Amino acid sequence: MRIACPFCGERELGEFTYLGDAAPKRPSAFAADGAEQPDAQDLFFDYVYLRDNIAGDMDERWYHGGGCRSWLTVTRNTTTHEIKAVGAAPGAGAQKPAKAGATS
Amino acid sequence: MAEYSWEAQSPLRKAFAPGRLGLASGDAGVAMTEISDFNLVQVMARRGLVANVAKAAKKAWGVLPPERPGAAVGKGATLIWTGPDQFFVLSVGNGPDPVSPLAAIFDGMASLSDQSGGRCLIRLSGARVRDALAKVSSIDLHDAVFPVGAAAATSIDHTGVNLWRRSDAANGSPVYSLLVFTSFADSLWHTLADAAAEYGVEATRTPLS
Repeated sequence: MRIACPFCGERELGEFTYLGDAAPKRPSAFAADGAEQPDAQDLFFDYVYLRDNIAGDMDERWYHGGGCRSWLTVTRNTTTHEIKAVGAAPGAGAQKPAKAGATS
Repeated sequence: MAEYSWEAQSPLRKAFAPGRLGLASGDAGVAMTEISDFNLVQVMARRGLVANVAKAAKKAWGVLPPERPGAAVGKGATLIWTGPDQFFVLSVGNGPDPVSPLAAIFDGMASLSDQSGGRCLIRLSGARVRDALAKVSSIDLHDAVFPVGAAAATSIDHTGVNLWRRSDAANGSPVYSLLVFTSFADSLWHTLADAAAEYGVEATRTPLS
């Protein structure tokens, strides 16, 4: 499997490290009015431990540690390993990502 | 208080053996050179200030830092892409404080980190250098995709390296420079020497000029 890093170009899998599902969002322990969220424990249990077992397209976080050390969001089909999109993870380093898939 | 006198040592003090390695007949196909006496500083633009950093670099060295993997040779320094909004400044020297002059240039626009003693600089050239590198790197080094000035942050033998192509040698063979963490330098030198042995290797040392 190869991943087209939006900064470096297409690279072999060995340069990347897999984190997992990009979907989980960190819940807040507090409601908008500052009061404690009554179901915060359940929300955090879900966020930390529970994952969907997706068969098909999934957004994932990958780390290009063997290259530019950027965090990436990769849309991958978990049954075929086909990669449909690669982009910089939100908030990762660059002000603007370079063009995806360009060779270096 | 005791006075210390720090003496710079080559990170290749175990692996480096000067002279001919591998194939002994004919011209050496690969020249491996350890480059010493360089200042290397990592520059990371602070969020939203990448344009200011580029402007400051242009003013200081006459070239813009590469926005994509590449190496720009400026007046007094080479700027090597290492990742989005970050680059190395490589220059001649072995002074005790390579950061201060850059801190004046980038005045709060970028975070700076001295890597002079943290990396080993290896230069590879020769008629068969590409064949040797092809064995250990997955980067396509063909002229069409990796011309003079191209660079890559990649892994060779599971070791992170910064690789870039300098101007061709006088005899027309390509010249690559490679930065590797000092603690991995001995190991990587062995790997490269093994890969190049069948073409004949000439190992030398020289200060950066």
